[in-house]
Amino acid sequence: MMRTIEIVLVIIIVLWAFVTASFFAVLPSPREVSPLNLRRLALTTLEVLNTNYSLSEIVFKPPDDPAWNDLRIALSACLPPNIVYSLTVYEVLTENETELYELCTSVSNAESLGIASDAVSYLVASSNVSFYAIPEKIGEHGVGGTLYILNCSDARGWWITGYTAHSLAQDLYNLLSPYFTKTIMVQNTTALGKILRGEPLSDEILRDAVVINTFGEAVPIPTEYCKAPYSNDNYARYCHFLGNMTRIYNWTWASIVGYPFYYVTNTGYFTGPNDQNSWGIFGMIMVAQRGMYAFLQGLTNIAYVTPDTSNIHKSVGVVSLSSQALESCDYYGIYPSPNQTSTRAISKSKIQNYPNLNASLHVFDPVSDGEGIYYPGSLYNHRIGARIEGSLLALGLTRTPDIRLTAVGLLSYYKPRLYRSEYTASNATRLVVLQLGVVGGV
Amino acid sequence: MTGSTIDHLISLTVFIGALLVFISLFNQTLQTAILYQRQRYLATKCNDLLDNIMLNPGIPSDWGESGNVPIGFGLQDPKFTHYALSPFSLMRLLSFAGNRAYYNGTWYSNVSWGVNGGYLFLRESECVSYDLASKLLGTNGTYGFRLTIMPTVNVTIVEDQSAADHLRLNITVIGQNSPLAGASIKYLLYRISASIPNFVNFTTGMASTDALGFASLEFHNMNVSQNKMAYVFIARVSAGGLYGVGYLARNAVTNAGTIVPYVENSNGTILLVHNPVDSNAALHFNASFYVLSSNFQIANGGVLNITSGPWLVNYGDGKPSFVLQIQPPNNGGFLVVSYWKEDGKNECGMVVVPWGIGIIGLSIVFGGDSAGQGWVATDIRQVAVRGIAYQARLALWSLESYEMMG
Repeated sequence: MMRTIEIVLVIIIVLWAFVTASFFAVLPSPREVSPLNLRRLALTTLEVLNTNYSLSEIVFKPPDDPAWNDLRIALSACLPPNIVYSLTVYEVLTENETELYELCTSVSNAESLGIASDAVSYLVASSNVSFYAIPEKIGEHGVGGTLYILNCSDARGWWITGYTAHSLAQDLYNLLSPYFTKTIMVQNTTALGKILRGEPLSDEILRDAVVINTFGEAVPIPTEYCKAPYSNDNYARYCHFLGNMTRIYNWTWASIVGYPFYYVTNTGYFTGPNDQNSWGIFGMIMVAQRGMYAFLQGLTNIAYVTPDTSNIHKSVGVVSLSSQALESCDYYGIYPSPNQTSTRAISKSKIQNYPNLNASLHVFDPVSDGEGIYYPGSLYNHRIGARIEGSLLALGLTRTPDIRLTAVGLLSYYKPRLYRSEYTASNATRLVVLQLGVVGGV
Repeated sequence: MTGSTIDHLISLTVFIGALLVFISLFNQTLQTAILYQRQRYLATKCNDLLDNIMLNPGIPSDWGESGNVPIGFGLQDPKFTHYALSPFSLMRLLSFAGNRAYYNGTWYSNVSWGVNGGYLFLRESECVSYDLASKLLGTNGTYGFRLTIMPTVNVTIVEDQSAADHLRLNITVIGQNSPLAGASIKYLLYRISASIPNFVNFTTGMASTDALGFASLEFHNMNVSQNKMAYVFIARVSAGGLYGVGYLARNAVTNAGTIVPYVENSNGTILLVHNPVDSNAALHFNASFYVLSSNFQIANGGVLNITSGPWLVNYGDGKPSFVLQIQPPNNGGFLVVSYWKEDGKNECGMVVVPWGIGIIGLSIVFGGDSAGQGWVATDIRQVAVRGIAYQARLALWSLESYEMMG
C-alpha cells in the first residue's frame, strides 16, 4: 500500500511538472510559423511605384493634389486584400548639420495596422533637383597631375586576354581622367620615347606623373632603345632604364596584371620569326623574371647588374581587397569584386633586398603561407627620407585584368576628394515611410 | 510478504502506465515544437530563395537574351538593379501553366495558347527546365518550388457584342485588392480589313477608367462582324505609379483556318504554322515586328516587315509553315501576324506574339506541383518587368519526408 501511495505522489509530481512545463512551453501562433515578409513587401511596393519615378513626383506635390488619390488607389491595388497600409511622408530639413524630419502628409486605408505590422523607409529626391559630384584634380594644389596611359599602336599585350590595350586604355581614361589635371594617351612607342627623354608631349607636367601600362605583362619599348646596352640580358637593361626614369621623374608606374616587365614589345622592330613570347604572340621578346628585378634596381638607384632569374612572385590563390581599398570603392563608387585570384604575388623578402623600397599601400591584403609574406597587389614607394622618388603599383593578379582595380589602387593612393552637392538640400529630399499591417486571422 | 509483492506489482504497473501517458503527452508537445521549427525554417528558406532568384541575374547575366544555358539561376534584369526582372529570362522558363504544345516532332513550352489571340510557344529545348533551375539553386532533391509571376494589375479587354454596327471594347482594370479608378489608358490598335488585307492600319489613343476601373472605347469605323476586320489591341494602364498592360487580338477562325506561331529559338526564329480547317485552302498572311520602348512608344528600329507579300501557308499543298526571322530587340516587342483567305468570303484574323514577358502582360508559372506535399511556405514580392508591375509568388515545400503530426 505504501508503494502505491508513493507512486501516486510521483504521478502528482510528474503531472505538476508537465503542467508547469506546458505553461512555459507556449507554442507560437499559426501566423508566426510562416509570416509574410512585410518589410520586403513594403520595400518592393515602394520600388515598383517608383519604377517610372512616379512616387518621386507625387510625394512632392501638395496634399490636396489629385495625384495623392492616385497613389492611394495604386497602393490599394497592389497589396493583397489582407494587408493594410499607412504611408507617411516627411520633409528632410537640414539645420546646423542636423537632419530634421517634418511631417508632410500621411495616407492610410485603416484605423489600425492589425495584428502584425512592419515598416520600411525610402528616401526620394525631387525630380527638379540634380545631384552631382565634382572630383578634386590630382595636382591642382601641388605638383604632378598628369596621367599617361600607354596606348601604343605599335605594341602588343599579354595577359590582357579578351581585351585590347586600346579598350583598356579607353576604360581607364573614362575612369580616371576626371581626377587628373591632364590625361594623355601615349599613342605609340615614339611618343613613349619622347617622355622617356623628359620631353612633354604637349603642355603637361612630366614630373610626378602616373604612367599606366595597359599591355599587361609586356611593356612597350621605343625603337631607339632596341639596341645595346638596353638590349643586354634580353632587354632587362631597358627595364632598369625604365626604373631609373621612374625614379628620376618621380613617376608612379602602374602594372595592371601579372608579372611586370616580363616582355618588351615593339611590333615595328621585333619582326623576326622568333620574336614572339613563346605563346605565339609576335612582336615581343621575353625578358622573363629579370625584368622586374632590373626595374627595381633602377627604381632604387642601384647600378645595373645582371639580375637574378629566380621568381620574385608566388601563386597565392584567392585574395581580398584591403579595408583601405574597400573604403575607396565606396567613396568613388567603383565596385570590382572584392575577391580576386593572385598568381603573381610579390615576395616581401625579395622586396626588402632593395634599399628604401617600401609597400606604402596594400590594394589587397598581404598573404602569409608559412614560407613568407606575399603582396598580391601593392604600391611601392622609393623613399629618400620624407621624399618619394618613384613608385610602382604592381597588381599581381591572374588574367584577365579588371581595370577598375587599377583605378581603385591609384585613387586609394592619391585620395582625390569628391565635392558632392548636398543631397539633403532643402525641399529636395523626402522620406517616405510605408507601414504594412496584416488584418484577419490569429 | 504476499501483500507487499502485490503492492509492488500494482505500484510498478501504475507507475509504468503513468510514465507512458506522460511521455506521450510530452511527445505531442515536442513534436509540435519540432514541426514548428521545421516549418519556420521552410518559411525562412522560401524568403531567402525568392530574394536569391529576384536579385540575381544568373550566370551568364544575359542568358535570357543570348540563348545560352545558364550555369547560375536568377531572373533579375542585368540592366537594372533591385527587383526588376528580365522579360527574356522569364520567357525562357519552361511553363507549367498549361498543356505542352506539340508540332512536327517538337515539344513547345506553353505560356499562352491563343488566350485572347496571344501566343507564346517556345521550343522546350530552348527553355530552362524546373530540374535545371533546382540544380542551379541547390534545392534539387531537398526542396520543391513553384514560382508564379503574374501582373499586379489585371487588364481585361472584351468585345461588347451589344454594339452591332461597330467595335466597342470594354476594358476593366482591377488590382489585387480593388479596381484602378481613374487610371489612364494608353492604347495601340493595329487593324486590317479583309477587303484590303495587305494594309495594316495603326491607331493610338488615350482614355481613362471610371470609379469602378471600367472604360469603354468606341471604334465607329470598325465592324468585325463576319470576320471582315481583325485587330490587335494593346493597352497600358497607369495610376499612381502602378503600371499594367493588357491585350486582345481577334484570332478569328477563317474557313481556311488560322495561323499558330511557334518561337524556335532565342535568336528570333519564329515558325508560322497553318492550323487548317479545310486542308486544301491556302491562308495568306503578313507579319510585322514592332519594337516597344519603355514609355510605350513604337520604335521601328529593327522591325521586320514582310507586308510586301502576301505570303501564304497551305497545309494541304505541302506548305504547312513559314520560317520567319526577326532581330530580337533589347527592349522587347511584339510580332503582329495578320492572315486571311482570298476568296469570296473575305475573312481575316490577327494574332500577337510578345517577345518578352511583360510586353503584353502574360503570366508565368514555373516549377513543380505542390499537390500532395505536406506543408507549403509562400512569400511574395512586388517586381517590375520593364516597368510593368508584377507580383512574384514563391511556394516552397520540403521533399524530405516528415510527418505532419505525431
